[in-house]
Amino acid sequence: MLPPFALEEPTSVHEASALLARYGETARLYAGGTELLLAMKEGLLRYERLINIKLIPELAGLALADGALHVGATTTHRGLERSAVVRAHFPALAEMAAHVANVRVREVGTLGGNLCFAEPHADPGTLLLVHDASVALAQQGGARTLALAQFFVGPFEVALADDEILTAIQVPALPAHTAAVYVKYGLLERPSVGVAVAVTALPNQVQAVRVAVGCVSPTPRRLWDVEGLLSSKEVPAVRATLDTAGALAGSAADAVTDLHGSAEYKAYLVGVLLRRAFEQAYQQAIGETPSDAARGRGTA
Amino acid sequence: MRCETQVTVQVPRQSVWDFLWDVPRLTACVPGCEEVQEIVPNTRYQAVVRDKVGPFTLRVPLAVEVLEATAPVRLRARAQGRDAAVQSLVKVELTLVLVETSAQTTTLQVGADVTVLGKLGTLGHGVIVRRGEAIVTQFASALQAALGQEVT
Amino acid sequence: MGQVLSIRVIVNGHAHDVLIEPYLTLIELIRDRFGLTGTKKSCDMQVCGACTVLLNGRPVSACTMLAFEARNASLLTIEGMAQGETLHPIQEAFIEHGGLQCGFCTPGMILAAKALLEENPAPTEAEVKHYMRGNLCRCTGYKRILESIMVAARRLAQTHNHGAPEA
Repeated sequence: MLPPFALEEPTSVHEASALLARYGETARLYAGGTELLLAMKEGLLRYERLINIKLIPELAGLALADGALHVGATTTHRGLERSAVVRAHFPALAEMAAHVANVRVREVGTLGGNLCFAEPHADPGTLLLVHDASVALAQQGGARTLALAQFFVGPFEVALADDEILTAIQVPALPAHTAAVYVKYGLLERPSVGVAVAVTALPNQVQAVRVAVGCVSPTPRRLWDVEGLLSSKEVPAVRATLDTAGALAGSAADAVTDLHGSAEYKAYLVGVLLRRAFEQAYQQAIGETPSDAARGRGTA
Repeated sequence: MRCETQVTVQVPRQSVWDFLWDVPRLTACVPGCEEVQEIVPNTRYQAVVRDKVGPFTLRVPLAVEVLEATAPVRLRARAQGRDAAVQSLVKVELTLVLVETSAQTTTLQVGADVTVLGKLGTLGHGVIVRRGEAIVTQFASALQAALGQEVT
Repeated sequence: MGQVLSIRVIVNGHAHDVLIEPYLTLIELIRDRFGLTGTKKSCDMQVCGACTVLLNGRPVSACTMLAFEARNASLLTIEGMAQGETLHPIQEAFIEHGGLQCGFCTPGMILAAKALLEENPAPTEAEVKHYMRGNLCRCTGYKRILESIMVAARRLAQTHNHGAPEA
């Protein structure tokens, strides 16, 4: 049995924020619970109150506005996976969401919950970083927007005030001639290494590359130095630089040796995944290989 | 996992050695360490260490045993305990080596072998590795600062 | 604390009104309160799929879901697959094609397969493997589970095409 707690079910962001302010660390927001309930079952976390936010209409919804994607915080991974809008306009997001954990977790787990729990071994944050995503945060007193890159503070730690709630994730449209790809590797229940790229390219000319690494580092992070190495180059030059870029990415990922592997192994994998992700993204950017999601094909 | 670091202080080695036996001042350098009690002088102690990562808090009552004390060169101790919430075993084997780099300066080498068993060890392993390294680094820095104050 | 929630759940087609604590898990409700022990607690961390049940047709891990989330919802467990003595085509396919040995993972496998085939009546093998990825089996090596599901898909499609009511 779970340790006892009481349930609160606010129907507005204001009400939820007021509950957080009132109960402080003895309460926690609860959406899908796929991370939270696990930790509570293991005895690692204890709360006197869970605040169910799934009844707040403002937190739901998935919509495209001016090319940008608005993802309500309580949107599930499956919601993203199966959305025609996301598959058409943000195929990499749909593909990433389709491979989060397993189908049962995807049916219940939310994107907002995933980002807020900030478990390092997770997928969405890494890919959202190369989309320059931002998060909408609200509390009783008002609302603000924060770049996702500033949202992750540390393992299991995000830049939320005590009574603040993540209400939505905003994903701007990628620039023209840009494709994003997320690749990951792992043999345990959670991914061990994740690399995301967004490549802006014309045939034989790479204009810009965005790179993010996740799972390995304490938080998902953009690798600005690596991006500088790969951008504004002709493709043969980029390919010749990929080894160096991979090594730089590996060390910038700040890996430690743990149950997922040695630091050296993980750094090496970052380089491998960077190379693969780049090639896939480049091909998609110049239009040669439409992504599987955009074609509507399922994947193994 | 093993964490190693070293610091250099402008303090003669014997003074550094003496400081290590000033239990209140030494344990003040350990992040999160509180409630230190001497059970057997120079041999056995009890302490509680607290730590926090995001929403996860850890409180481990540790039984500390001095394994080796070779003055003024080498100190080895073992600290072991279980956190109350998850009953995970935490064990630290600490080795401090004092190198006399000059009559007035000492290099203090800090080595810690940290083991965390049980659910905490498996679920949060990567985080534990990073916290372990951070704590050892903070310990060494705090030692350096405290010893620096020795110099009048 | 003493908070108690009054909820109605439709379990395998039958409505039940129950009083539950907010911290009761769905698997505790199913196994301990309703006595339906076909749903298995195995890993207890939502990775193995042995506790798969369908909540409004969606596969969820009963071990890591709170029971009150089933309020006003339709819950399908393995006990609800057969109609009396008549097995569901998915169950028949699993039996005929060796999709089970010890049977422990089987309730979860069958329910997940049911959800899959309702969403995607004609899946490719790759699509089945992707969907079923979170249901683990220690006995069969998966090949016969895959065959069973592909056979079941074809049979269900035929039944629909001939307009006969689904078993």
